[in-house]
Amino acid sequence: MSDYIIEMNHITKEFPGIIANDDITLNLKKGEIHALLGENGAGKSTLMSVLFGMYKPEKGEIRKNGEVVTINDPNDATALGIGMVHQHFKLVEVFSVLDNIILGAETTKAGIILKKEARRKVLELSDKYGLNIDPDAKIEDITVGMQQRTEILKMLYRENEILIFDEPTAVLTPQEIEELMHIMKNLAKEGKSILFITHKLNEIMAVSDRVSVLRKGKYIGTVDTAKTNVDELSEMMVGRKVQLVVEKGEANPKENVLEISNMSVKNKTNSKLAVNNVSLNVRRGEIVCIAGIDGNGQSEFVHGLTGLEPISNGKIVLNGEDITHKSIRYRNTNGISHIPEDRHKHGLVLDYSLENNMVLQRYFEPKFSEKGFLKFDEIRKYSDELIERFDVRSGQGSITMARSMSGGNQQKAIVAREMDREHDLLIAVQPTRGLDVGAIEYIHSQIVAERNNGKAVLLVSLEIEEVMSLSDRILVMYEGEIVGELDPKKTTIQELGLYMAGAKRGAAK
Amino acid sequence: MKKQITSSLMSILVGLLAGFVVMMIIALASPDIAFYRVFKGMGLLISGPFNGTHIMTNVGNMIFKATPLIMCGLSVAIAFKTGLFNIGAAGQYLMGTLVSLSIVLNNDCTGKPAKGFFIWLLAVLCGMVAGGIWGCIPGFFKAIFGVNEVIVCIMTNWIAANITSWVFSAQKTIQATGKGGYLITTKATGNATPSLGLDKLFQGANIDLGIFIAVLIALLIHVILNKTTFGFELKSCGYNKDASKYSGMNEKRNIILSMAIAGALSGLGAALYYLNPGIEFNFNAAYMKLPDVGFNGIPVALLAASNPIGSIFSALFVRYINMGGEYMVSAGFNRYSADIIIALIIYFAGFTNLFSSILANINKKKAEKKAIAGENEKCVENGNEQSTENENEKNTENKCETVKEAE
Repeated sequence: MSDYIIEMNHITKEFPGIIANDDITLNLKKGEIHALLGENGAGKSTLMSVLFGMYKPEKGEIRKNGEVVTINDPNDATALGIGMVHQHFKLVEVFSVLDNIILGAETTKAGIILKKEARRKVLELSDKYGLNIDPDAKIEDITVGMQQRTEILKMLYRENEILIFDEPTAVLTPQEIEELMHIMKNLAKEGKSILFITHKLNEIMAVSDRVSVLRKGKYIGTVDTAKTNVDELSEMMVGRKVQLVVEKGEANPKENVLEISNMSVKNKTNSKLAVNNVSLNVRRGEIVCIAGIDGNGQSEFVHGLTGLEPISNGKIVLNGEDITHKSIRYRNTNGISHIPEDRHKHGLVLDYSLENNMVLQRYFEPKFSEKGFLKFDEIRKYSDELIERFDVRSGQGSITMARSMSGGNQQKAIVAREMDREHDLLIAVQPTRGLDVGAIEYIHSQIVAERNNGKAVLLVSLEIEEVMSLSDRILVMYEGEIVGELDPKKTTIQELGLYMAGAKRGAAK
Repeated sequence: MKKQITSSLMSILVGLLAGFVVMMIIALASPDIAFYRVFKGMGLLISGPFNGTHIMTNVGNMIFKATPLIMCGLSVAIAFKTGLFNIGAAGQYLMGTLVSLSIVLNNDCTGKPAKGFFIWLLAVLCGMVAGGIWGCIPGFFKAIFGVNEVIVCIMTNWIAANITSWVFSAQKTIQATGKGGYLITTKATGNATPSLGLDKLFQGANIDLGIFIAVLIALLIHVILNKTTFGFELKSCGYNKDASKYSGMNEKRNIILSMAIAGALSGLGAALYYLNPGIEFNFNAAYMKLPDVGFNGIPVALLAASNPIGSIFSALFVRYINMGGEYMVSAGFNRYSADIIIALIIYFAGFTNLFSSILANINKKKAEKKAIAGENEKCVENGNEQSTENENEKNTENKCETVKEAE
């Protein structure tokens, strides 16, 4: 009998041109919480996909309880007791919690589902692990935290012993994260073995027993959590010392750049308002952050502000000029820069070269065109300059297809473009989403530099740490409304979390 | 570029092979075709216009018949570039036919060459405008109401077909010029497309000024798409509508304009074809059958991978095979089986995207081997990029299938 419940030995998985996993060994003890740490593109997801049967490795073996097993597809993985909570939940919105749990693993008698039996089992499990779910609630009506617990119950219902959590905290409030940590510890205590993918160091320190670090597809090492610290881990992950805290001086706000009064935006799918009567202002030389849990109207608010969606009510004033009814191009060319939330949907034309993407809003300007003809030399020159200045890395420089670039460099290209365009207001929506520590450090420093250069910055972020460390003022958005204005220096993460969860309301200005 | 041409040639080759297999099956199935005739038939097919004794005439006619096909191919290609599927080229072509022929046939210019040329020019331009307006309709519905352009295109095709028959049948003066009352031609009105003496060079073929116009337009479209800010916007909207909107482009206007240009190109193709004095238009039958050339524009565009210059060559190829097919009858294949084989070759030719993705995969594998052999210090990425690429391939395949079904 082996010490380990799962051993992944010398796993090598190649994709054309790259080695995503290069001779990686990962051993999971029974009953431990094992964190898998690494930057984006380090190969964490690939390794887990190998374990879950979605990829077949070129080299290496997987052992369960010391015996070699072959996992050809997710069904094999399930049969071996391996379950996974994906980052994006796989739930049927209009089904109840119970239905979602038993979906695909229904116990039937003569074609009839034995729901009573299932309900008893689900409630038992829920009690045992303190999951606290309502089996009859519909998925669309419950919180993200409860949806996640439904996913966990799905695994428990199938009697999985090895549970994989893929970045489970990305969508949760601080309170929910704490709850999840508690649940994970309970699960481990009951003998379940947990693999926990993340790039958040604090969570690892709080919950895990051991940490394995991957970097650029290679295995760096495994350490006991108790014997390490955040700085050591981040150095292992990135390969160099990282500035974890954003350094910034006092804000020195001047006159208003953006004034929004009573803005409302309709919801696309129902008659409710996605953004409800929001008023705010952003001044030169300050970073105002809109905090909130995903889906509380932040996207619609930004779309309304930038003109991507019509607003149903309200007024937007930029530099003293009413731009409520102006076109997107007018806003683009009169002072608004926008780092969009979804870089693939809005930020880039993926089948265009990098240089074309660099002039996406500017191709018609006299600098880049003459009498309707593009000046290719100028575009190349400008693009090369931006690539150099912002250190955007790609296979072939300016002529690289945007699609073939890594996510971090795609984001850097957008940041370069938006920061270099003439603007007074920078709207940055989740500018560091999915980026690794090195890239985050860079983008944060750029945003602070913007502020220090006298630009107004409106930051929309779901990451509490980012909100706390970057902003000069925090506005919390909950169900389309601004429910509080906080000073990051005087508030705590816990208080901010209460506002984000809608449990607390302050005097909104 | 080189890769595109290779994949186009590959799809032609596979098309010919498929045609060959079908010929063998037909030969085996029909007792009156001896098996060796398959090879003879194939020889005739790939000899195209170089069969028989009137080679120059054949070549001239091949070029002439390619003219409207180039235009329809361009029409489909420019819509593809903007992310639209213009299956309405047939209807736009009919509107071009209707307007240009009506202008020419109602203005007898016999003996007045200057006026004849002017009326011809007017007819060509008006045919273009008519096609353009017809193309606007699906573009408008797509941009403003979000209605799928394929549905509106198909509906407007049949509306155009009926309008054409109806309007011509109401013009008694035109009917007097035609044979049997319904076959109308520009032979007698003195305002046909100038032949520039090409009919002498190609010994009685229909070839005329039209081919030069078609080539010129193809070059023009190439320049618009690749060198101008307008082309930059059109392609951007085709690749990613949301990012184009985000960048401040008017994506709705671009959809309408793209369809208008596509329509104008089809309309121009019709004018260049029917204003030739050697061509008769049967308006009595127009409401029953949509013109093939409108649909053949789709494989032409696909074979050329939507490249405007490539469309010239792919249209010539289609006509080349058509011409060969006409000679297959002498090898014992009847007209219908010849048509099946030609259709097969042409539609296989439309699978260019599939072959270019196969080529891309082969190249990737080669690169991979090299990368393993050499030092690989590049940033490691997981498989996300690959999966999106695969999805794209699937999409293009689906498009090909839609094309087949539409036919």
